[in-house]
Amino acid sequence: MPESRSETIMAMSEAKLIEILKDSNSPIFDKAQACERLAVVGTKEAVPLLAALLADEHLADYGRFGLEPIPDPSVDDALRKAMEELQGLRLVGVVDSIGVRRDTKATVALAALLKNDDAEVAAAAAAALGQIGSPVAAKLLEETLDHAKAPLVGAAAGAALVCAERLGAQGNRKEAATLYAALRRPNIPKAVRVAADLGAEKAR
Amino acid sequence: MKISRRGILKSAGALVIPGSVLGKNHAVPPSDRIVLGAIGIGRRGAQDLSCFLKERDVQFVAICDVRAERRDAVKQMADDKYGNKDCATYWDMHELLARSDIDAVLIATGDRWHSPASIVAAKAGKDIYCEKPCSLTMAESLALAETVRRYGRVYQAGTQRRNIGNFVHAVELARSGKLGKLQTVHANTQKPATHHDWLPAEPEPSKEVVNWDRWLGPCPWRPFNSKYIDGKWRGYFDFHGGGILEWGAHTVNLCQWANDADGTAPVEYDPQGNQVICRYANGVKLVMRDTGWLKLGTCAVRFEGADGWVETADTGKMELSENLQSERRDVTMLGTDPTTHIRDFLDCVKTRALPKGNAGAVAQTHVACHAAYIAWQLGRKAAFDPDKNEFEGDQEANRMRSRAMREPWRI
Repeated sequence: MPESRSETIMAMSEAKLIEILKDSNSPIFDKAQACERLAVVGTKEAVPLLAALLADEHLADYGRFGLEPIPDPSVDDALRKAMEELQGLRLVGVVDSIGVRRDTKATVALAALLKNDDAEVAAAAAAALGQIGSPVAAKLLEETLDHAKAPLVGAAAGAALVCAERLGAQGNRKEAATLYAALRRPNIPKAVRVAADLGAEKAR
Repeated sequence: MKISRRGILKSAGALVIPGSVLGKNHAVPPSDRIVLGAIGIGRRGAQDLSCFLKERDVQFVAICDVRAERRDAVKQMADDKYGNKDCATYWDMHELLARSDIDAVLIATGDRWHSPASIVAAKAGKDIYCEKPCSLTMAESLALAETVRRYGRVYQAGTQRRNIGNFVHAVELARSGKLGKLQTVHANTQKPATHHDWLPAEPEPSKEVVNWDRWLGPCPWRPFNSKYIDGKWRGYFDFHGGGILEWGAHTVNLCQWANDADGTAPVEYDPQGNQVICRYANGVKLVMRDTGWLKLGTCAVRFEGADGWVETADTGKMELSENLQSERRDVTMLGTDPTTHIRDFLDCVKTRALPKGNAGAVAQTHVACHAAYIAWQLGRKAAFDPDKNEFEGDQEANRMRSRAMREPWRI
């Protein structure tokens, strides 16, 4: 028998967890625990309820906690939609989840966010593109290294390292080498330049 | 000109050979001195730091902590040591890590910050000594190892038993064949469970006193309660990887080493009560258990082969099978003492060699512990592919390998 409220929630079915999220009178604790449990048992049925939390001050990260591991494309649709609607930290979180899920369909929207006035948002977009690790993402990051101001260059450089590794692992050696070469420019942080040398040597 | 990996790593090292910060009356030339900062220093961190401060080639210059009380205490400790007021204080680790004079950092925050802070430090070009457990999830473990490798940094987890005589000797008995063909390795763990409760909300202190938002860091939001920041965060799922990892970070780590399995993890996990019985691809069995040990102290390990066995633990004492009595090597150094492990780290910062608690080996240990805890939570046997780092045909288990991080933190 469950002994505490959290144990009761952790033993609930998806349908019961969804009921908690639907009920506007549910305590914030119950909603938070429901999200954590849905991370393990949630399906596409839970996605709209979890996505509805993405703008919430205290439950946005729980919404992402629930959404990120659900292996259903409706999660990617919901995150892309949220990306169009949110700003600031909530947007940063959504972009991070898109990066974790490596959603290539978000590439164009992420490219636009590289020019966002909010430095945190632009840095998150760069990191997500690095995770996606496609030739298109590589090109976008390389352009950012050329044109962006210092804080974003640092973020884009770190993301480009990840991107180059992913490209190399996929057999795109030429694109990886181009990106590593771009990371040896003098405006790139020294720690990244050293890492780029290591990466380029390994990719050879 | 051909660029070699050794040459690049030497240049990475050249980045960190210090020269700008001098103490008084040191015999060690400045060029051989390692300039150290620290992030998140509580009780265990203070033990580590006191060991670092005894090393003559270390100059400690800065502390970052989200608690003013701890910042002040560490500054006092350092200033007393050096007879000046030079130790800088920060609440934001990015400011400390932006200092080009700092070569290495000691990270001893709560577990929730170990991987994210280590990753930020590696990206800033610092070498890292970080307390264990090193991650909250399997994904964090792997990201940490990847980042340390990618940036060519030296990373030492606080798994000091890899540098303590009785444990090292027991591992050597297993690896050298003196036990015969290795059959079973046993790791002392704690009770696995964590819980999801919240403590009652209390008024949040001012950010200057305790920065609660930064204390939470990548963990999901919850209301402030002073017990969390006073060390009572263990056992909460959001902050802690559970009792298998708590000691398994040490003991499973030693079992992996004994089985020559630093680059892999068991392929099967079978929870039985508070134990998890695991099996490696080479047939060796790993038993993670919290009871039934000889009384040799905490964090015990036992290695059993076809021809003999050895068991040892934190007191430094060993027990062996009758035929191996001549191999007894009791030591007086306690298993909790980080002195030799810290020296290993400092030497590797200079030589760019891999320390004993390096990120790759530690990541695989943590993967094994996380996999065991996932199987235990699910209450069923789980098959695992250590090459892909995923459970075989078990979507539920695979979904438990990572957790979304609270914005703006990412790995």
